[in-house]
Amino acid sequence: MKPFDPLHQFDLAQTRRQLFGRTALGLGTASLARMLHGEESHTDGLHHKPKAKRVIYLFMSGGPSHHDLWDYKPKMKPMFGQDLPEHVRDGQRITGMTLRQKTLPVCPSKYQFSRYENNQDGIWISELLPHTAKVAKELCVIHSTFTEAINHDPAITYIQTGSQIPGRPSMGSWLSYGLGNLNENLPGYVVMHAKSKHAEQSLFGRLWGSGFMPSEHQGVLLRSEGDPVLYLGNPEGLSRSDRRNQLDALAVLNRAQHSKLADPEILSRIKQHEMAYRMQTSVPELMDLTGENDTTFKLYGEEARQPGSFAACCLNARRLVERGVRNVQIFHRGWDAHGNLPGEHENQCKDIDQGCAALITDLKQRGMLEDTLVVWGGEFGRTAYCQGKLTDKTYGRDHHPRCFTTWMAGGGVKPGITYGKTDDFGYNIAHPDGSPMKPIPDKEKWTPGTVHIHDLNATILHLLGIDHKKLTYRYQGRDFRLTDVHGHVVHDLIS
Amino acid sequence: MMPHSTFFPQSLHLLWVVIVLIGYSGSRAAEDADVPNFAREVLPILSNKCFVCHGPDAKKDELRLDSYDGATVDLGGYQAINPDAPQESEVIHRIFDQKDPMPPKKAESQLTDREREILARWVKSGGNYTKHWAFVPPRKPDDAKASIDTLVEKSLKTAGYNFASPAAPSTLARRVALVLTGLPPEREQLNRYLANPDEQAYESLVDELLHSSRFGEHQARYWLDAVRYGDTHGLHLDNRRGIYPYRDWVVKAFNDGLPFDQFITWQIAGDLLPDPNLEQLTATGYVRMNPTTSEGGAIEAEFQAKNNFDRVENLGTVFLGMTLNCVRCHTHKYDPIVHREYYQLMAFFNSTAESPLDKNAYLYAPVIEVPGSLAEWEKWEVLKPAQDSLLTKARQIIKTEQLEPKLLSYARQTLNWKTENWRVTNDLPIPTSPDDAKDWKSIENAKLITNEKFGGSKVAKWIDFTLNLDRPQFLYYKSNSEIRSDLGTDRIALLPGDAGEHHIRASLRGIDGKMKAEFQIINPWETLAKKKQWSSASELDQVLMVGDPNTSLFPEDLQREAKKLSVQLLKLRSYFTTTLVAKDLATPRETKVLERGEYNMPIGEALEPGVFAVMNPFPADAPKNRLGLAEWLTAENHPLVTRVLVNRVWQSVFGEGIVRSPEDFGLQGRQPTHPELLDWLAVSFREQGWNYRKLIKPMVMSRTFRQDSARRSDIPGDPDNLLLARGPVFRLDAEVIRDTGLWASGLLEARMGGEGVKPYQPGGLWSALAHPASNTKNYIPDIDKRVNERSLYVYWKRTSPHPMMTLFDAPSREVSCVRRSRGNTPLQSLGLLNEPQRMEMARAYSRKLLTTEEAEKDRLDEIFKSLTCRPPTEIEQNACLTLLKQAKERYRKDPGAATALTGSDTASPELAAWIQVVNMILASDSAILLY
Repeated sequence: MKPFDPLHQFDLAQTRRQLFGRTALGLGTASLARMLHGEESHTDGLHHKPKAKRVIYLFMSGGPSHHDLWDYKPKMKPMFGQDLPEHVRDGQRITGMTLRQKTLPVCPSKYQFSRYENNQDGIWISELLPHTAKVAKELCVIHSTFTEAINHDPAITYIQTGSQIPGRPSMGSWLSYGLGNLNENLPGYVVMHAKSKHAEQSLFGRLWGSGFMPSEHQGVLLRSEGDPVLYLGNPEGLSRSDRRNQLDALAVLNRAQHSKLADPEILSRIKQHEMAYRMQTSVPELMDLTGENDTTFKLYGEEARQPGSFAACCLNARRLVERGVRNVQIFHRGWDAHGNLPGEHENQCKDIDQGCAALITDLKQRGMLEDTLVVWGGEFGRTAYCQGKLTDKTYGRDHHPRCFTTWMAGGGVKPGITYGKTDDFGYNIAHPDGSPMKPIPDKEKWTPGTVHIHDLNATILHLLGIDHKKLTYRYQGRDFRLTDVHGHVVHDLIS
Repeated sequence: MMPHSTFFPQSLHLLWVVIVLIGYSGSRAAEDADVPNFAREVLPILSNKCFVCHGPDAKKDELRLDSYDGATVDLGGYQAINPDAPQESEVIHRIFDQKDPMPPKKAESQLTDREREILARWVKSGGNYTKHWAFVPPRKPDDAKASIDTLVEKSLKTAGYNFASPAAPSTLARRVALVLTGLPPEREQLNRYLANPDEQAYESLVDELLHSSRFGEHQARYWLDAVRYGDTHGLHLDNRRGIYPYRDWVVKAFNDGLPFDQFITWQIAGDLLPDPNLEQLTATGYVRMNPTTSEGGAIEAEFQAKNNFDRVENLGTVFLGMTLNCVRCHTHKYDPIVHREYYQLMAFFNSTAESPLDKNAYLYAPVIEVPGSLAEWEKWEVLKPAQDSLLTKARQIIKTEQLEPKLLSYARQTLNWKTENWRVTNDLPIPTSPDDAKDWKSIENAKLITNEKFGGSKVAKWIDFTLNLDRPQFLYYKSNSEIRSDLGTDRIALLPGDAGEHHIRASLRGIDGKMKAEFQIINPWETLAKKKQWSSASELDQVLMVGDPNTSLFPEDLQREAKKLSVQLLKLRSYFTTTLVAKDLATPRETKVLERGEYNMPIGEALEPGVFAVMNPFPADAPKNRLGLAEWLTAENHPLVTRVLVNRVWQSVFGEGIVRSPEDFGLQGRQPTHPELLDWLAVSFREQGWNYRKLIKPMVMSRTFRQDSARRSDIPGDPDNLLLARGPVFRLDAEVIRDTGLWASGLLEARMGGEGVKPYQPGGLWSALAHPASNTKNYIPDIDKRVNERSLYVYWKRTSPHPMMTLFDAPSREVSCVRRSRGNTPLQSLGLLNEPQRMEMARAYSRKLLTTEEAEKDRLDEIFKSLTCRPPTEIEQNACLTLLKQAKERYRKDPGAATALTGSDTASPELAAWIQVVNMILASDSAILLY
């Protein structure tokens, strides 16, 4: 026999998961981790010991204003209405919406900021987030997140899939692919859409879709309207015991088919039917809040009783991670405040503030915060200058990619810190002395103090035990990664 | 990591060696057995492990290992490959060097011992290079008698195996019908074949299926996945887009047997053909298929670039089987394609006339009007020649009788007619809902315009009005396609209306959003009057002028003929709709290389359109435009196009391609399992005039296809069926699962084409995502029988396709998909058993069964015959009868549940029980798998 091994060829053309998934029984929940390490994978992580076992991502779609929530810029106050100095903008491209505006007037936030204690020298937080401010000691607040995209569709696709152009798997799919599922009765990656009065931005299936990966990795929508999971409920007139009988008959038919074809996918499908059957009770049990006591609703607020509210989604998130779901994402829309920012952001913050704080407090009380990562953020920030008419009461802000604030909590991040700095206009990421810097993402080199969205994603993966450079999926002859060819783990954020 | 040998039984190693050896026998058989095959063994290692630094995108002055010339360059007294003293080659030295190895220790991919050994053996043999197999034009094997079966059998035999036994005739009938038409065989077809299932009967069955109109529908669907067809723009608002005539045209092209080279040419450059017809223009919808946006802040130049990236990369996947995405930013790391070439290819597309932003508009210009469904296309094909012949006659008469001055003078006269000559008798049409009255406008410039906002109403609205004509006129109805509308039974009587009073009653059904309908009295003479030339008037206007009853300029018989044709044409035209097409700017846009793919960083000189040097040269006499590009793609010596296409067709028939990475034939792609077969198919396809049916027929006629699908205990090491030692098994695609259910239950509507249809879907799926300004914010299910049309016609919103499609792995169609994954999830179970339309299928089917068959066993026979082409086995029968019995007893005790399940007024425990049974069988693997 020639020493050449053509199977090697076959092997090369696939990642391990793709390879093994086809030869193993192929349970939908099979993950790379399990394939490599066996059942104990979830404690060992995929590439290293994880700090976080699960993640809850609170995504603020539309671009929350860092100026009005997190990034206190008192020096802008006296410059109210003056044109933003040219050197501050320094070549940053402007969206088509403010391109034709004659001036770019400096727009200080109208909100009061107060200093809250954290584990460093304290943190300034806006009056719009009174509840979140109370958990400041848990938050790792990053003022220097940045992106290149300046419009929603590319920007949100970028931060969620690592590419501005559709077609890639979402971060949640990457996690599902890398980590799999711990609960046999619930999906491993759950997505919720929280209600908002200003749901003015589009979301896209691709944000939780699996791109070129198998569909089993796509996020499962947990809905507040109709069946919580699509087609979960039996049709009227068909009871649970009817379904049991149907499934028993179905299993006989499918096993008969298996005895003819010996295709292991058939056995796998029998298991999927059984899991669906279990989900028909585990999901309603999950959604049933009667077991939650008054303390819970005091914590999350009465709004948590309204299905689909952000608070309710947060409560669901806690219930999901409690049950072993690794990966929960809540999308809250309406942060795209071009015109009436104060009016809109006040409502937006009311929607989310208590829920965010409650989730952290609740997880902490249950001893779960230490290994549950909570992430909060949007696809970009908002401009220092006003879009449209600037008055002392109202203003608007355009999209701003160069710096924005995100925060993380729990799951192995440093609690009670702020990270990164912006200049006096909250326009550029700044050196510690306040002078603006213009970080250019470089795959070899990371600029300290900055967190590009690829860095953020790399760090999230790292906390979950994944090396973002090693989690690859071969498609079109290329080993794709969530972070493309970029991204650096920001160890400064990790405890 | 586990060593991979644990997972690969030694037997399969052997098998594979055998396949590879056979694969490249023939011309290469003479090679020294100790010299590794460069293309198959060496190049993949170089590509995977070395090219990242030493490949086409190597830094300047860096050693290049992607060519012989590069590898033998003098590096200062030594060479990577030393042809004179191969033993001395630096490559050998470095790959074994412990201290300073190559690849370097920190490199992500390291060589395995086996790979080192192969490289060393190759270098020692002289380090000769050959081209990557896919860049060498396909060649038929020398054996003139070669066929699919001989080529498959050759590798089977060498591995020591034979074909599996043939599948049972019933299984085969089902398999072939599903593969060709996406539906099980019709009962009569099946019975005819099973009565005497010999070779001839099988071939007749195949021929029938190949010529069924369902063939085109099913085959079109794979194409639509590849070209990312969708009914919405795809980005941001994801608004509606008017391009479904393209989808219908694809179906038509498959059914008409349009040769595939033309199929390609029309799509890429139909508009550049001489005097293009409507079909050729419609086909250019391919060029317009990229997702687009008009997001508030979007920058035009950015999306001009992005739209074109998308086109180039789609072309790469669909026709070349190459991934070009990397070349957008830099020279390809693996494949020999340089950065500049990407932009040269882009230059072909960079001069199309549409604006870079879609304005969120349905009519995203340029658009043309074409038949709105396949039935209308058929009528058009009858009327078009009639129109052409009439106009030829008219032109002759105009010429011989020198009519033009008279015609012109009459035309001028019509311009003086005042609009007051036409009036609507009542002031306003009366809408049924008084709230809407304010939205209705009265007559204006000979048009009656209605503007109504339908707030998600499903209800049809009626317009009633009377129109008084003082002379015969042409009355024309048009809507802005933002609605689906029906005016009376025939939209509207589009008549050369006689003088007098006309009562017009129209029903309009809206979607969410503003709809506009126009009732227009048209004057066909207007263009002539203004442009002063008969030929400047549209063909339709010419027919109307000839048939105008108000003049007697043309001979009476011709006028009569034209009048008749006018009615037919106008009626048909009222079913025309708009579709996006390609058109080039008069002055081409400049295309430059974009540094790192950044739209605002163009560098260097403006580029000529051009193609990849590693493939065939651009045809010498071809124009440097999209037409020339099509010529290049369909050239005889193109190494990839036919291979890529036949591979995908093979994949649709056998479940997996001969190249199992249909999206990548490049250096990083998978090698063909049967290289000679791939080439044989590719060359035969071209030689047989790019005839699609002649390509697919031998596949389904082959012994390879007709094998039993069971896994073979004698070949345990081949779970992926690389040897093709058994028939295919795979879960059917989303569309086929749905269509089969509709068909079996008797619900399937035969209507073909037209605007995307919206079957029931759970509420809120669209509104939970959509921008408030999006016109696809609210999903309003259709209420007529169209909901039961084939899934091919289901409305495709790219950011949120129908959930039953997505659950079963249909792609979003935001990007090309040439290979669907086949997931296996609990959510699929829920969909199969609970989705409302599947319950409808079970209800309809059960009702049908209860009336057509008496005995329970006969009913079961009937279901199994439909879905599996055979009666149930005893085990299956018992399982079904047990379920039936349990269900009947339960519904007898609880008639309320029976009423609820059956959806009827009277409780029928029997019907309810059957619904359970049918619902279960429809979900079973015998119904949802191909085997």
